[in-house]
Amino acid sequence: MRHVAPFGHRAPTEIMGADVLPGLKQYLGQRFGPFHCWDPVNASMIRHWCEAMGDTNPIYTDVAAARAHGHAGLVAPPTMLHTWVMTGYNGLRPPGSATGNAFEVLDTIEQAGFPGVVAVNCEQEYFRYLREGERIHYYAELESVSKQKATALGTGYFCTELSTFYNQEDEAVGSMRFRVLKYRPANWNLDNG
Amino acid sequence: MDKLSFAKLRPGDDLPELRIEITAKLIVGGAIASRDFQDVHHDQDAAQALGSPDIFMNILTTNGLVGRYVTDWCGPGARLKKVDIKLGAPNYPGDRLVFSGVISSKNDAARTVEVKIAGRNRLGEHVSGAICVEFQVKE
Repeated sequence: MRHVAPFGHRAPTEIMGADVLPGLKQYLGQRFGPFHCWDPVNASMIRHWCEAMGDTNPIYTDVAAARAHGHAGLVAPPTMLHTWVMTGYNGLRPPGSATGNAFEVLDTIEQAGFPGVVAVNCEQEYFRYLREGERIHYYAELESVSKQKATALGTGYFCTELSTFYNQEDEAVGSMRFRVLKYRPANWNLDNG
Repeated sequence: MDKLSFAKLRPGDDLPELRIEITAKLIVGGAIASRDFQDVHHDQDAAQALGSPDIFMNILTTNGLVGRYVTDWCGPGARLKKVDIKLGAPNYPGDRLVFSGVISSKNDAARTVEVKIAGRNRLGEHVSGAICVEFQVKE
């Protein structure tokens, strides 16, 4: 798994005349998946999450409270969206999952001399709250690669992965845009690569 | 009964501040609760080998804390529609994360408000973001 560190950000500025690396466009729009979940949405994982986050919203742990607020039963914290499909301790995808990943482009950029990677943005949309018992899977694609940008960290490319999440009936339940900067550190010597 | 009345919310209204102590327990507990076993979130030696002074919080925990911050304020009857965050300075053990927020816009027809939040630690801005919350018609 790739190491993704938080990003000390400043507004990127574009280098005039620089374009995307040759060959990057072939990665755009290819859809990868499905990637399945190990576990259905369940009360135990929800409670563990709420304990760690200090989240006492009762709709996540109390069926009566969830119903009182218009839900059919227990619902998961919406920010758990990605947690349901994480590979977990062994880093393995559940049986039936596809191979490959939408960020293969990062390897290509790295080979061009941009070894660093940092997460920049995470944008999640929740079409509705997930209910206990639902089985989530997702598909991912590389949505965009920026032109080469100069940033405080160094020069690089912003790459955005779009994941769309579905339940077991293929109903879309949420989406996530995850943007990373793949960069050459400002003080990095190409000979060190 | 909601804590807040949608009708009374106005752009410019502040959310109450929330302070969260950043401990190794929170960083590891959050990583495991989100099933993120990357070593930089639980193994100090591994984090230092990659140039960090210590383990640091994973993104899913930050996202979870942002969601909690907003729903602590708006109550169990409101629903998160969108959480859009920008990541900044890392959260290391021993630090303190202080959330602040303000209503940036309100849509009466959709019964939504957008909240701009910031989570600061001693290194600077750990996270900033825009969160869309929908208030139910009837509670």
